[in-house]
Amino acid sequence: MGVFNYTFHWRPAFQALPAMLEGALVTIQLAVLSMLFGIAIGVVLSLMRGSKNRLLSGFAVTWVEIARNTPALFQIYIAYFGLGQIGIRLDSFIALLIGITFNNAGYLAETFRGGMRAVPPTQTRAARSLGLSAVDAYRLIVLPQMFRVVFHPMTNQMVWAILMTSLGVVVGLNTDLTGVTQELNVKTFRTFEYFAIAAVMYYLIAKFVTLGARAIAWRLFRY
Amino acid sequence: MIDTALSANDIWFLVQGAGWTLLITAIAIVAGTLLGILFGVARATLPGWSTLPLGFLLDIFRSVPLLIQLVLANSFIPILGIRATPFAVSCLVLALYTSAYCAEIVRGGVLSVPLTTRRAARSLGLTWWQDMKEIVYPMALRVMLPSWIGLTLGVMKDTALVGWIGVIELLKSSQILITRMANEPLFILCIAGLIYFLISFPISRLGARLEQRWRDND
Amino acid sequence: MKWMPLAATAALLTMLTVPQAFADKLDDIIASGVLRCAIVLDFPPMGSRDASNNPIGFDVDTCNDLAAALGVTPEYVETPFPDRIPALVSGRADVGVASTSDTLERAKTIGFSIPYFAFEMVVLTKDGLGIESYESLKGKKTGSVSGTYEAIALEKDVTAWADPAGSFQAYQTQADVFLALAQGQIEATVVTSTVAGATIASGNFDGFMMGGKAPYEIDYVSLIGLRGEYGLINYLNLFVNHQIRNGRYEELYKKWVGEGEPPNLMIPGVYY
Repeated sequence: MGVFNYTFHWRPAFQALPAMLEGALVTIQLAVLSMLFGIAIGVVLSLMRGSKNRLLSGFAVTWVEIARNTPALFQIYIAYFGLGQIGIRLDSFIALLIGITFNNAGYLAETFRGGMRAVPPTQTRAARSLGLSAVDAYRLIVLPQMFRVVFHPMTNQMVWAILMTSLGVVVGLNTDLTGVTQELNVKTFRTFEYFAIAAVMYYLIAKFVTLGARAIAWRLFRY
Repeated sequence: MIDTALSANDIWFLVQGAGWTLLITAIAIVAGTLLGILFGVARATLPGWSTLPLGFLLDIFRSVPLLIQLVLANSFIPILGIRATPFAVSCLVLALYTSAYCAEIVRGGVLSVPLTTRRAARSLGLTWWQDMKEIVYPMALRVMLPSWIGLTLGVMKDTALVGWIGVIELLKSSQILITRMANEPLFILCIAGLIYFLISFPISRLGARLEQRWRDND
Repeated sequence: MKWMPLAATAALLTMLTVPQAFADKLDDIIASGVLRCAIVLDFPPMGSRDASNNPIGFDVDTCNDLAAALGVTPEYVETPFPDRIPALVSGRADVGVASTSDTLERAKTIGFSIPYFAFEMVVLTKDGLGIESYESLKGKKTGSVSGTYEAIALEKDVTAWADPAGSFQAYQTQADVFLALAQGQIEATVVTSTVAGATIASGNFDGFMMGGKAPYEIDYVSLIGLRGEYGLINYLNLFVNHQIRNGRYEELYKKWVGEGEPPNLMIPGVYY
């Protein structure tokens, strides 16, 4: 009984490393794309939310609140099987990308809103009275300060995006790191070995992102 | 009227699923918060090198997808010869997962109290414990509570993943219903989503209100 | 008497370890009073849920019979297909009553009983897609449950056809495969004829239809246990033998599949 009931098979597991590394690349690709789209949509949503138009702000509020108050897994499942019911058939990769982007955009919109609030309007007025154009005032005074405030939450969201990519397996994705790992698992039934290797890879990817972000922050934000 | 094959029985099935979601959330949050306070205070007050291993361990829980953590624990715990239900495994993993995030919140909270304030307290004759209880706790709470509410909601939503290892929580129960009523996945999923929303939204509003009020008072 | 605690500890250790050294899985099951069956519940008529969402099906009844024979209470560990064997290997279940095909690859990891059921594979598709035979799957979007007998065979053929329009998609549960077929994410799947029949008959899916037989070997499925648990596997063999001998196999076939001759479990021309 006990530990000795199970023999670890590490040799075949390590042989799968190249396939898993390829999966890791897809994972990184998904996370990066979802962040780029997420940032773009997030900015638009945060501007819409501040708008006087009730329809625009209502749309933004609905998006943000659904993204923040339902599970990411639910959002991804909806993107694949929910939209499928009304005839929108998406590829697993695209459905996952849409699910994570939806989530990213919702959280980032709130981050950006907080960032905008962090720069007092008096500064813009001061900049304008010093003769800067509205665009220049925004570009030179507001944005750099805002970026400083939102940089850290954005890094966190990037790590979240990486973690969320693991959910693609529920909508049939088998090319990302978790998908590849699960394929290996169902063929060899060596759950622990393969998933342990995957865990190490996710850890390294996440570390790479946080350390990279720290280096960028150090380079950009020192006085 | 909405034309659906969903019966009262099935709604009850979903509500039961929501019950498991709430139960696992409650256990994970209570256990995770207690552990998190312990880890966080240790990380904030003990010398840096001594808590480095702890910091590394907690970092793992924050850097590896929860799904992978659940699968690993679910396969490793029985290898150790311990019989554990998926429910117990879920609670354990989610509690540790919660503690890892909570430790960071607590550490940030404790460190947000200026060291000079604490030195002043100690030089007025307060013990370490009194300093923690009377000075650090009330000041740090303002920094910690909004994040902690966010963490609670995050963990509640993350419980959706325990369906993967066989706990029939809210999302899993909706998927089971879809097996029988394949013509209306969107409708059933939306009900599940609505339940999540109804649990999460009021708490998140409360958190935002608290944050707002404290900011205005500053 | 310094040696007393030591002797007591030694005695205790002996008591704890000695019986364990002889106890195998079969003893453990009987001693614990619980039989944990890994069961797949989105695979009607073998395993599914009734209107009150309780587990039912051929496999559920078989698990109940096995537990009754052992004199213990059954406990169902619901596993999606890909998780059946990991559940056994990692000790979350004692036996698998989960329509498990007895492939040689799997036999490297787990032990099989003699077959307790046999399937023929058919193409399941939707009307209007022009799929009438297995060969017409060429160039179509197909899918199945990750790691199953039929998934491995289908994926192999899709790869061999090498038609750029064709694809194979693996899902984690049978339910997701049916849903994907219903919604058009895939155009066809290959499943056991019993499951295809039950799924079409259930009326849950509009337009589902059979698309001809799949030219695979007959898929014999077995009960599964850990590879080294000979005592348990012996018991499972005799249990299957008795189920057929006493007519229970036929009875369960009638109850879950319908009228007609239950599949012959003898493999012609060879000893098991």
